Amino acid sequence: MGPRLSDLESLILLALIRLGDEGYGVAVQKELASRSGRAISFGSIYTTLARLEARGLVASRLGDPTPERGGRRKRYFEIRPAGRRAVAASLKVLRAMTRGLGPSLEVP
Amino acid sequence: MSARPPVLVTRLLERTLPTRIREEFLGDLEESYAARIAAGRSPIVTRLWYCREALAAPLTLHSHQAPALSNAPRAADGPMTNLLIDLRFALRMLARQPGFTAVVAITLALGIGATTAIFSAVYPILFAPLPYPGADHIAMVWENTQDGGHSNVGYGTFVDIAEQSRTIGATAAVGDWSTILTTAAEPELLPGSRVSRDYFRTLGVAPALGRDFTAEEDVRGNGRVVILGQALWRSRFGGDSAIVGRAITLDGTPFTVVGVMPAGFVDLIDPRAQIWTTLRYNATLSWACRSCRHLRMVARIKPGVTIAQANRELNVLYQRMRADNPRDYAASGFYVPALRDQLTEGVRPALLAVLGAVALVLLIACANVTNLLLARAAQREGEFAVRTALGAGNRRLVRQLLTESLLLAGVGGALGVGVAVLGVEAIVALSPQNLPRIQAIAVNQPVLLFALVVTTLVGFAFGIVPAIHAARGDLHQNLQQSTRRATGGRRVTRSALVVSEMALALVLLVGSGLLLRSMDRLFAISPGFDPERVLTLQVQTGGPHFANDTVTWAYFDRVLAVVRAVPGVEQAGITSQLPLSGDFDAYGIHLKDRPSVNPEDDGSAFRYAVSAGYLETMRIPIHRGRSLLESDRAGQPAAAVVGETFARRRWRGEDPIGKQFRIGDTETGPWWTVVGIAGDVKHVALGAEQPSEVYLPEGQWKWADGAMSFVVRTKGDPAALAPALRRAIWSVDKDQPIVRVTTMPQLVRATEAQRRFILVLFEAFAVVALALAAAGIYGVISGAVVERRREVGIRAALGASRGDILSMVVRQGLTMAGAGVAIGLLGALGLSRVIAGMLYGVQAFDLATYGAVAGILFAVAGAACWIPAWRAARVDPAVVLRAE
Repeated sequence: MGPRLSDLESLILLALIRLGDEGYGVAVQKELASRSGRAISFGSIYTTLARLEARGLVASRLGDPTPERGGRRKRYFEIRPAGRRAVAASLKVLRAMTRGLGPSLEVP
Repeated sequence: MSARPPVLVTRLLERTLPTRIREEFLGDLEESYAARIAAGRSPIVTRLWYCREALAAPLTLHSHQAPALSNAPRAADGPMTNLLIDLRFALRMLARQPGFTAVVAITLALGIGATTAIFSAVYPILFAPLPYPGADHIAMVWENTQDGGHSNVGYGTFVDIAEQSRTIGATAAVGDWSTILTTAAEPELLPGSRVSRDYFRTLGVAPALGRDFTAEEDVRGNGRVVILGQALWRSRFGGDSAIVGRAITLDGTPFTVVGVMPAGFVDLIDPRAQIWTTLRYNATLSWACRSCRHLRMVARIKPGVTIAQANRELNVLYQRMRADNPRDYAASGFYVPALRDQLTEGVRPALLAVLGAVALVLLIACANVTNLLLARAAQREGEFAVRTALGAGNRRLVRQLLTESLLLAGVGGALGVGVAVLGVEAIVALSPQNLPRIQAIAVNQPVLLFALVVTTLVGFAFGIVPAIHAARGDLHQNLQQSTRRATGGRRVTRSALVVSEMALALVLLVGSGLLLRSMDRLFAISPGFDPERVLTLQVQTGGPHFANDTVTWAYFDRVLAVVRAVPGVEQAGITSQLPLSGDFDAYGIHLKDRPSVNPEDDGSAFRYAVSAGYLETMRIPIHRGRSLLESDRAGQPAAAVVGETFARRRWRGEDPIGKQFRIGDTETGPWWTVVGIAGDVKHVALGAEQPSEVYLPEGQWKWADGAMSFVVRTKGDPAALAPALRRAIWSVDKDQPIVRVTTMPQLVRATEAQRRFILVLFEAFAVVALALAAAGIYGVISGAVVERRREVGIRAALGASRGDILSMVVRQGLTMAGAGVAIGLLGALGLSRVIAGMLYGVQAFDLATYGAVAGILFAVAGAACWIPAWRAARVDPAVVLRAE
């Protein structure tokens, strides 16, 4: 049993998996908005990412500065194996909880 | 629209973000911002989104959920971080109770707004520096008069001081001047000043365009020159800088424009002046004599010399001048006030009283908010207890509560600035014309700073009481009974607050009551004439065709004839000065049968050069003798009608009819014979001491007055007749401006404009104070009724009637009101001494006013208690007892 994840933590980890090498703040926010329909503030995203990093579930590195960012660098986040295990575990819990509830509620 | 986010918000954000993620966070925000703009979203919506992100960031990033991001180690709890946590929590608390937050914010907005508005009105008058360099060295110079007043100076006096004083640097004499500017459009009367050469150098301000007056230009016979005010230059000359050096036509004669004053320049010696010309006096002119006291004198005291020293030096000088010219001086010396003191002399006590009154309103608002917070704190005791149990120290709780109250104060203060902006507009619209520096009244930087300071103080003031109560709370007890309402100590505090609100409201009510009664007394005074249905307007003459007095007399005769012929006119007359209009034209009166050694010792009287029919139109009664008639014209014996007080003062018991006097001059001019005694007329103000007056036929006076006031008694509404009269007057000569068109009742009311202004403000404050105090007492009684539900239920069960319960609750409220009234009466005694100078015909401790005000307060308190009392009376004992 890995560490428990909050709803937002799971969503952000999943977004990082989808984004691969391109996982930085703006991309994460866009991914969350387009797939979940939730507008999460950067403040919340960074708070969550910092917590995940402190727990060893994600790693980050600084990229190169770009002009459209006012010459500021991006911070890329990458999911670590422990993070993948944690997402898998919480999905497993979700599946276990929904099994047999019918097609509208069951998680495949 | 730029694709870059608002700079200010970014800067603020930079300061609050944890250093570890600052760069990437800002980068993400900016990239996202640019992308939104590029995607065609509205810039305003995008900016709002940016602000929301910026606001949310520090709140979330510094929260306890983000320990990884804290700059400081968690255990140390940096002050900034804690503040942000407190702030976030406070925001949530306030958002959760929008009704409470709104009531508090509006109460504070009213209090802070009113205080800020009043402060912005008094700031330029009482506190702001005058708009001249080294203004504390600028002083006015007046001659003392024998009756303890002050008068203008004559030209000879001015020259002596300018030449002989060693404490005075630059100095200038200023004379009244108004001139008619003729251009292609309508003739326009411009208020201005005649000034001696060093006027602007004395004030320390140079023209922005062109140059100052030279010494040669102040010499009689040399070409005439003017300097224009910025506003006049822009409105009438289109701001054309080529105007300098060109000639303009004033009174039909060419004047060369030599300069234009800068935009910020205000002439505080005569705030209406828009145009200045040189005085061009010399000692040989008949009106340049020492006793021709019609010049205002302004002086710049030399550096290193105090105004008191200058005053002493001038008084020594006065004794010498008096010894040299014994017939010209009779008083004790000069009066040399600093210009600032001069400007605020009349209004300072009134403004301070208003500032004090609004401070009382603010105090009441604070007391009310404290009460609301205490009531809410009672409901939050459980919360505090839980937090204490979890390890929050007293200091931590106090800080949390203070953050909440400061936030509330901040919201109230921000709204209050809005209230102040509206309030300032209202004040400027309401204020009397003679309020000094009215053009400088605005919500500006010092005023905003004041609002900020007041807001902070207010936040602490109403936050500290609930905070102390919270810190004192007994943890164990509160945890056990977290659902119980206010504890005893808090109830006592709340009652004390209501009592003080009542007391403060009473003080304000007494103040406005006394002012209201003064106003009634004043307007009960007869001005000595009948103002009803009288229209007045002033016609000025100017231009080369008024070359001599005969032409002017003939012109006014013709105009009076056409005015009398206008349909709807019952009676009409003209006068050189009008009572209660601010006109001030007084001359020494020298009696033939009672010559004095020094003619300066003779009293003076207002001189009215009038047409036949003036006294009749004004309905000024003739008590003895006859009125002035058409036959009293030039060439006939000089006839005069005098006021009854004047006659009594000067001829003490003798019959004044047939007595003779000279006016202005002891040596020359006709002996005027008294032919009639008229009723007294209030010339300066209704409440002022009765002045002396003499009425002379205009055609018999030494010269023709260039400006005459028409008084027209109409059959119907006087104001409606103004256009017809204007047309009639212009049918004689279309180049003569008509000014000061008003009705006599309006003029009478305007004389008390300052008192009325103060009264309106006091009334407004008193009403707000009363409403706030009523809300306060209602809140406390309602709270008490909720707390005492069980007691009331038991009483009802034991047989107390509804009436018993009703009166029990109302009595509780009235006890508080009674204590408030008792304390307030003492405060009111203090306040009424402050406003004693503004009262008229009413004692500062007028029993009727105090009684009426106390009655009002009891009535309002009783009404405010009635609703909770009624609620208590309807308590169903069965329900209450079952709930226990």
